[in-house]
Amino acid sequence: MQNIEHEIKDTNIRLCLDCGKCTVVCPIAQHDPAFNPRLIAQRRLSQNSRGSRDDTIWSCLSCYMCMERCNYHVKFPSFIHALRAESLSEGTQIQCNHGGAIQAMMRLMARGDLQQKRLGWLPKDVELSSQSDTLFFVGCAPYFDVLFSDLGVNALEGVKGALKLLNRAQVPFNIIANERCCGRDLLLQGDRKGFTVLAKANMDEFTRHGVKKIITNCPECYYTLKVNYPNMLGSTGIQVMHLTQVVAPLVQGGKLSLGKLEKRVTYQDPCTLGRCSRIFNEPRQVLSAVAGLKLVEMEQSREKALCCGSNSWLQCGAVNRQIQKQRFAQAEISGAEILVTACPKCQIHLRCAQKSSDGKIARLEILDLASLAAQSLD
Amino acid sequence: MNKPGASIVVFACNWDGLSCIEVAAQKGLSYPASVKIVRVSCLSRVHSGLILKAFELGANGVMLLGCSRSGCHFEIESGLIEQEYEKTRNILGLLGLREKKLALIRLPGGDGPGFVKQVNDFIAGIEQTEPAAAQ
Ligand code: SF4
Ligand code: SF4
Ligand code: SF4
Repeated sequence: MQNIEHEIKDTNIRLCLDCGKCTVVCPIAQHDPAFNPRLIAQRRLSQNSRGSRDDTIWSCLSCYMCMERCNYHVKFPSFIHALRAESLSEGTQIQCNHGGAIQAMMRLMARGDLQQKRLGWLPKDVELSSQSDTLFFVGCAPYFDVLFSDLGVNALEGVKGALKLLNRAQVPFNIIANERCCGRDLLLQGDRKGFTVLAKANMDEFTRHGVKKIITNCPECYYTLKVNYPNMLGSTGIQVMHLTQVVAPLVQGGKLSLGKLEKRVTYQDPCTLGRCSRIFNEPRQVLSAVAGLKLVEMEQSREKALCCGSNSWLQCGAVNRQIQKQRFAQAEISGAEILVTACPKCQIHLRCAQKSSDGKIARLEILDLASLAAQSLD
Repeated sequence: MNKPGASIVVFACNWDGLSCIEVAAQKGLSYPASVKIVRVSCLSRVHSGLILKAFELGANGVMLLGCSRSGCHFEIESGLIEQEYEKTRNILGLLGLREKKLALIRLPGGDGPGFVKQVNDFIAGIEQTEPAAAQ
């Protein structure tokens, strides 16, 4: 618990002036009066908070909207993550959605003797460079496509698109058969132990394969490998890049030319890629390199982008649906035919909202950025 | 009498599924003590989360035991369990855990010997491919 106190201090939460700006911009607080970031801070910091449980901490989306507004740079999402770890260590049972299937899957992946068979989808024409020290980290896309098959989720299309773009640009890379889930969702839920086991297993694989550089298509893997792994395990000596950071300079420098697609698209900034990792331009640069593609922005975009509505497979209900409806309304007003996202999890949550809405939510096509860019190459 | 064996979780529906197990008990038919029965109101209540959780907690195999498709107590068999079964099998496949570790068995009500045969065959299959599970 000593550590948690330190961690809480590092979030600057004690600088909180109680101004309430976070609450005003928080998408959850907008629809759920019981959720109030300012009051969560106040309750935890007040003298007599000890032992009392705050059940509202599980609703936070880790969307970083509050941090964007806080003048005192309070790292509110990190504060929430610390409170969750504290609460779990006190024995709180959390409600996971999808019956805990994703958490169970992550914990099964933590087994030491695991020999996954997760590369069956790999197209024959993808060129791998087994000697390369650059790894393309696939992430949980193969698992997501099975678990969310009823939603029509197609996260692997994004991965295949990414590989095609890299091949076309002659960027050498390898793939490893036994990578684990990066562990982000366990970390955000407060399960540090579960996260660390996965992270160590991945680091062992990276070391065994002499990995020096990692490219990911999933923003969550990106941030976790880049920031959380060194934070939790010490320096990894591995450079981590998001696909769009690799591809954008290539298309801008004329080293990779994309094809043509006559479409009007809008772009969903994934919270972890945008506000959390500050990657706003590169995805847009890739999209604008596709001839004929017209990018139209939604009312809330870039730093102000609205979250896809759900996070880390915790509590998902009516409030989350409200946020998703709001996002689809913005996408519809933008006049786009395609809602492009760079995150497999945004794709899952948005498709879920669309499916459960009986046609009341805009019937926009939802596509992964990498798969869209790769489509233009055909 | 029974040697300890692979640990098996059986999700049995409250109707024909459970009646098979009850009849097996009444008739004194034996099956390994490492088989744990979890009663559910209907197999449609079981989803991939529960099955994967059983594996996470150390089960070597999971059996889903329910009524025949036409014999569902709730009259409309939704087909949900088939969906979840397929999904979970595919997840187990990706994890490199043998798909044989999961079985969907449908039996007519009161078929005690049928249940014992199915569960013993299931265990034998697992112990054959996974000798460590037998300990
Ligand atoms: S915006 Fe910052 S200072 Fe204001 S209440 Fe929220 S955390 Fe406190
Ligand atoms: S991270 Fe997002 S959901 Fe969580 S408190 Fe901040 S604004 Fe609200
Ligand atoms: S929005 Fe996402 S987390 Fe919520 S129910 Fe749908 S898929 Fe699950």
